Amino acid sequence: MYDYSTASETALDQKTIKFSARNVQVYYGDNHAIKDVNVDLEDKTVTAFIGPSGCGKSTFLRCLNRMNDTIDICRIEGDIKLDGEDIYDKAIDPVQLRAKVGMVFQKPNPFPKSIYDNVAYGPRIHGLAQSKTDLDEIVEQSLRRAALWDEVKDRLAAPGTGMSGGQQQRLCIARAVATAPEVLLMDEPCSALDPIATAQVEELIDELRKKFSLVIVTHSMQQAARVSQKTAFFHLGNLVEFGETGQIFTNPTDERTESYITGRIG
Amino acid sequence: MSDATHTSLMAQSAHTRRRNQAEKRFRAYGLAAIALGLTFLVVLLSTIFYNGVGAFQQSFVNVPVYLDPAKLDKKGNRDIADIKKVSTFAYAPLVQKGLFALIEAHGIETTLKKPKDMKKLMSASSTAQVRDYVISNPGQIGETVTFRLLASSRVDGYIKGRVKRADVARDKNINVAQLDLSDAFIEAGVISKEFNLGFITGADASESRPEQAGIGVSMLGSFFMMLVVLGLSLPIGVAASIYLEEFAAKNRLTDVIEVNISNLAAVPSIVFGILGLAVFIQFMHLPQSAPLVGGLVLTLMTLPTIIISTRASLKAVPPSIRDAALGIGASKMQTVFHHVLPLAMPGILTGTIIGLAQALGETAPLLLIGMVGYIATNPPDGLASGFLDPNSAMPAQIYEWAKRADPAYYERAWGGIIILLVFLLTMNLIAILLRRRFERRW
Repeated sequence: MYDYSTASETALDQKTIKFSARNVQVYYGDNHAIKDVNVDLEDKTVTAFIGPSGCGKSTFLRCLNRMNDTIDICRIEGDIKLDGEDIYDKAIDPVQLRAKVGMVFQKPNPFPKSIYDNVAYGPRIHGLAQSKTDLDEIVEQSLRRAALWDEVKDRLAAPGTGMSGGQQQRLCIARAVATAPEVLLMDEPCSALDPIATAQVEELIDELRKKFSLVIVTHSMQQAARVSQKTAFFHLGNLVEFGETGQIFTNPTDERTESYITGRIG
Repeated sequence: MSDATHTSLMAQSAHTRRRNQAEKRFRAYGLAAIALGLTFLVVLLSTIFYNGVGAFQQSFVNVPVYLDPAKLDKKGNRDIADIKKVSTFAYAPLVQKGLFALIEAHGIETTLKKPKDMKKLMSASSTAQVRDYVISNPGQIGETVTFRLLASSRVDGYIKGRVKRADVARDKNINVAQLDLSDAFIEAGVISKEFNLGFITGADASESRPEQAGIGVSMLGSFFMMLVVLGLSLPIGVAASIYLEEFAAKNRLTDVIEVNISNLAAVPSIVFGILGLAVFIQFMHLPQSAPLVGGLVLTLMTLPTIIISTRASLKAVPPSIRDAALGIGASKMQTVFHHVLPLAMPGILTGTIIGLAQALGETAPLLLIGMVGYIATNPPDGLASGFLDPNSAMPAQIYEWAKRADPAYYERAWGGIIILLVFLLTMNLIAILLRRRFERRW
């Protein structure tokens, strides 16, 4: 099993820890979906979660912004701290947490509204813009960050659902970025996209790393290798191995990791 | 592969042939079912139309009436209070004389020798119509004014073919000589069949004057009931569904509630009627026969329909939209009201309109709260009187007419059904249009 204490010490030397999870257990009814996960996620870093289907990587990702709260039968134990604050503390409002920890989903899910309204929705409900000009600026900035501005600047009033899949996913990223989050969680953001759109989104992830901490769940090991600095390998609800991406892919310490990345399990 | 096992695709195997025949048979059954359904629909609609279209036309008599000052204003001072004291009995001879004079004017030969014999040709309401005119125009007294008066229901029935000469022998309301005179008057253009606006705008009339009866006032009764139903069941139903679907924990209690709502939708409407009688009228002492009470009872009946359809359309909103909103930090309520509800709106509106249409055609509960019976009120003169004054409703009025002995009322019942169907079709059309209009893709 991966030894977190030494890893976190070395990590502390380089970067601040954003998320720190200790002894996290997740149950869906009687099903023990996540077992004893301990992990520290760094700021301004892309962390990739890889592993076979049903291994719990998406479940764990959804624990980080409490999206699992919406599932009635889901129960979470252990500590998850964001900047040292327990996000499952009673005093924490999940709505405020989610404004800080944005999320991009597997399937592009723009609202059936205009492109502008899609991006402006978050700033509006969080009161981030004082005026129409402020809001315009946030929208433009977010769309620029999502590398979408040049494509849509002339048709901001067009419906967001009328764009191509890749554009829709970048719109969702722009929408997530617009609320000025500190962490961006991405649940297989490229699984519904073609290779060109995937490349655009990956480029974008690399760009966003300068400002945010990113966590990306992916089924593509090449993608994990391309975009992430740290990689966590999940298997059957366990966090098997966590470390530098290069090390995980070239010299894994655990047998299961090696089997997975070489294609023998999964 | 050897030739022995090779089978040509050109020849169907016995198994394939049986399968294809079964499919053909199934298609034939389906077509037959649809054809049968369509036949019933055509028969139903054509029967309704054939029987009911007569109610939209009515025979009128154009009579010049000399408004005799000696009868109508004995004191000669045109005092409105005195004119009002003169009852319709004084008007009857004037109207009859007016019609009698036309016999000579058109050179018609008849065995009827007295103005009094004209009485059965005109509706009993005709004298009231002349009196109303005089009261509102007292200056016309002494003049001869031509009125368009309702013909009696027998004359009207004769013109429409409902009353046959053979039947008249046993009818004390009309005789053959009067029918002959009617024929002559039609020839002369005195009696004519025209569009009957009074049927659409008027109030119910007594047993003996079906020609005067209209569905207008009960239409208003239905309208006020629908206002109550819409105003109560839409907000209550939508609020209940949103809470159950989006906020309530899924546990045994909500399961019980859900099952019971489905059960309520299946409760016979007459049960709601007796509940309304016990609770709203006997316990809460709300006025009997009032559209308010009718609306409350129909609200109880419509609520389950609206709740079920609203929950179905909320369920149909893809969870990805909820995730998207929650994921950028919208609260549960913001998620529901900004994103889920607008997407569910077409379904909710459709369900509501279908619920309303159901309530509009409902008769049984109205029987128990006294909205059926001879309720010949004037149109309500305001909101309060619209909600609280005794009134009927369209289906109850139709039921009432169908019960009455005079065949002229039978025709009116069918006519009422046509109007009710027009309303229902319009509402369904609105439901379809709303669904088209607000449907958005995601």
